[in-house]
Amino acid sequence: MALTMAAVSLLVFLVLELNVEGVATKVLGQFSTAGQRHAWLLQHGYFDPLPLRYGRWVLDFVTGRWGLSTYYHADVLQLVTPRLAASGLLMGVALLVIVPLALGLGVLAGMREGSPLDRGVSVLAIVTTSFPEFATAVFLSAIFVFWLGWLPGVSTLAGGATLKEFVLPVAVLALSSTGYIARMTRASMAEAMGQPYVRTALLKGASLRRIVFGHALRNALGAPVTVIMLQIPWLLSGVIVVEVFFAYPGFGTLLYQAAVNSDVYLIEACAMVGVIAVVASQVLSDLINAWLDPRLLAAARHGPVVAAPAVDLSAPERRVAGL
Amino acid sequence: MRLNRRMLRPLDGGRLHPAVDALVDQMEQGEIDRRAFLRTVSWLGVSVPSATAMLGLSACAPATTVGAKDRLRFVCAVQQITDPALTTWVEASNLYRNCLEYLTEVDADNITRPYLAESWTPSEDLRTWRFRLRPGVRWSNGDVFNVDDVAFNVRRWLDPNSQSVNRTSFAAIRDFERLDDYGFALHLSRPVCSLPEQLYAFTCPMLHRRFEEEGGDWPKNPVGTGPFSLVDYRVGLSAKFRRRDGYWGPPARVQEIDYVDLGPDVATHVAALAAGQVDVLYRVTIAEIDLVRRLPHVRLLTSQAAQTVVMRMQPAHKPFDDLRVRQAVLAAADNAAMLRFAYRGLGVLGENTHVAPVQPDYAALPPPQRDVARARRLLIEAGYPEGLDLTLTLGNTQGRWEQDTAQVLQQNCAEAGIRIKLNVIPPAEYWSVWDKTPFGLTYWSHRPLGVMVYDLAYRTGSVWNESKFADPAFDQALDAALAVIDPRARALEMKRAEALLRDQAIFVQPYWPQKFTAVSEHVIGHRAHPSDYFRMDRVGLA
Repeated sequence: MALTMAAVSLLVFLVLELNVEGVATKVLGQFSTAGQRHAWLLQHGYFDPLPLRYGRWVLDFVTGRWGLSTYYHADVLQLVTPRLAASGLLMGVALLVIVPLALGLGVLAGMREGSPLDRGVSVLAIVTTSFPEFATAVFLSAIFVFWLGWLPGVSTLAGGATLKEFVLPVAVLALSSTGYIARMTRASMAEAMGQPYVRTALLKGASLRRIVFGHALRNALGAPVTVIMLQIPWLLSGVIVVEVFFAYPGFGTLLYQAAVNSDVYLIEACAMVGVIAVVASQVLSDLINAWLDPRLLAAARHGPVVAAPAVDLSAPERRVAGL
Repeated sequence: MRLNRRMLRPLDGGRLHPAVDALVDQMEQGEIDRRAFLRTVSWLGVSVPSATAMLGLSACAPATTVGAKDRLRFVCAVQQITDPALTTWVEASNLYRNCLEYLTEVDADNITRPYLAESWTPSEDLRTWRFRLRPGVRWSNGDVFNVDDVAFNVRRWLDPNSQSVNRTSFAAIRDFERLDDYGFALHLSRPVCSLPEQLYAFTCPMLHRRFEEEGGDWPKNPVGTGPFSLVDYRVGLSAKFRRRDGYWGPPARVQEIDYVDLGPDVATHVAALAAGQVDVLYRVTIAEIDLVRRLPHVRLLTSQAAQTVVMRMQPAHKPFDDLRVRQAVLAAADNAAMLRFAYRGLGVLGENTHVAPVQPDYAALPPPQRDVARARRLLIEAGYPEGLDLTLTLGNTQGRWEQDTAQVLQQNCAEAGIRIKLNVIPPAEYWSVWDKTPFGLTYWSHRPLGVMVYDLAYRTGSVWNESKFADPAFDQALDAALAVIDPRARALEMKRAEALLRDQAIFVQPYWPQKFTAVSEHVIGHRAHPSDYFRMDRVGLA
């Protein structure tokens, strides 16, 4: 994990800071002279050996000295924090809609594989996920802003966060990722429902409700949780389309502006924040999975021996051997 | 038509400029139209109300009622501003125009009117211009606005180390002379008739005399003489202005103006307007006008301005050092097709001269003829029998239609064996290479006069001379045109300059696109201005 972060930070550093002349031009502007750039580079230690510069760069990042944005003329840390909070808010609201909806639909569909309900959910999920966000955003805004006039066209949060301004961005995000999670849940649920212990419970006369909630659900949630956690970094950077379309003042628009204006320190900070978000969400996903399935923890502690027979039992060669 | 020329009053109450008489003669004989007449006498220091009264037109006074609602919301890019004299974006000037004022004002009809200067008097040879400042104007910090402020601004424009485009546009100013606390004279090295008009260029606002001492960063220390004061400024997000008490003129009609930056996508701006979240858009592009026309409660404003795109070549770079190559590109270009396909025909055809028919000093040259066979011949002569590969850099700074135009040119040129590769880069990035790239497509905003464009863009050594074009004969013709008062005689001088420039085949200038913007139906008093210079104190909400 730390290795991932180190590797990515090195990559970000090399891509953006290796060309020192480029950095100086971006910071001092196109009207600067070669002499000014040289003096600036010297003053900021850009002619020191690369490992030293990298070390200093990492230290600066860790201690929160992220530099000055060349486009906004403001401290990068102070720029990123409110934007991150705004994106966090959008993401939180989106997840509140996506997760219950996706899990609910997925469980309903997966309980009875092949039922009309299952088919319906699957078709709906495939159709909605197949629309890219930029298309969904245009469709929804054509209907609800231009035609019906029910919803605001941009979500700038200028007058504070209002529920109305969240409807469209959240709807676009929900439409594109609910279907995917629902289908993962459905597959996982269907698999769980086919397990011997479900059959045993069924033969013992347990109600469907009890089987689903008492036995199958917990086992079926492993894969969807991983997918949901993977959605967090996606939401953080992948919402660029949605944020820019609705002029939402979040992390995505900031990253977009930084890239468009080649604001080098801001791009570096945004990239690093993105990396932290990915790594953190993966850690969280591992922890939740461990809680859902204690066998994983045991496996980590004692090696894979304990979990192995459970898998091997269903292997065909054992069946042949008479087990 | 007999005109009573005794009705004409000079702004300073003194004598009329001798050239005014000849202009009235021309007007009486119908040789120039009313607009050309009003524009020209306004430069010469004649009061425009007295001139309109002489022509029997009713002068319309701007309404001064204060609207019912008091907060106007304007969609506009909120860019970084430090020194207003260095800005390169008109959007930025629309922010500081609320606080900073100019010596003169050029209204939406292209007529120059008094602003911070209440009168001006040119000498007979147009080399000495005396200005009188409006008394009783105070800066927002309490200081009195007087000639010291003007001296500070003019001297810093003309400083040899100045990075401002004003250094070129006012290169003719030889000396600034202080007459008294409210009077000054500008001494020119050559006659310039349109000086008052040039003082309203967006980079010429009057800054406080201690602007540099106090940091030289305007949003941090927003001192101004204007009707609003800056309350909040956040680059890339928003800016807030509030009506200022103690303003010398009629008070603004709204209490507050909120500028919001909704990013580069105009479709987003239209969505905000449709939903009633904003009142005024800065611009609507050709891509959105169908949508805007269909929206209820929204008005589309259209104007024909002298704005255009030029696809210009730098003769300093190979292969453009060969005149025949440049001529081949021009011969292959189909300006009519570019206007039709890239801008749906909503504009006026360009003639590769960068002077528009709406500009009063326009002179018609024979329209360019498309000739693909000639283009091929020229290429062979230039040593490219197998054709030629070029890269055209563009940034869609005004919208996707720039790229559409370039694509039509690409098709046109392909027929002649010129293979153009399009290098499309983000808008902000384009403005850092616009004067460096050998072959680039650049948008030029409206200027009231063709001579002003020529002075900025094609005079030898001008800061904004993006093609690095240098021709002493052209500079001479331009000087001659700048010195003529008579609109017809000036057009004749311009004809020479236009021909010299076009013969050098520096650029393809296909068409003059119309300009569009949209406002909510509640907005009153907002007019499309050909330069996009908006005076928001006259705009109200009903």
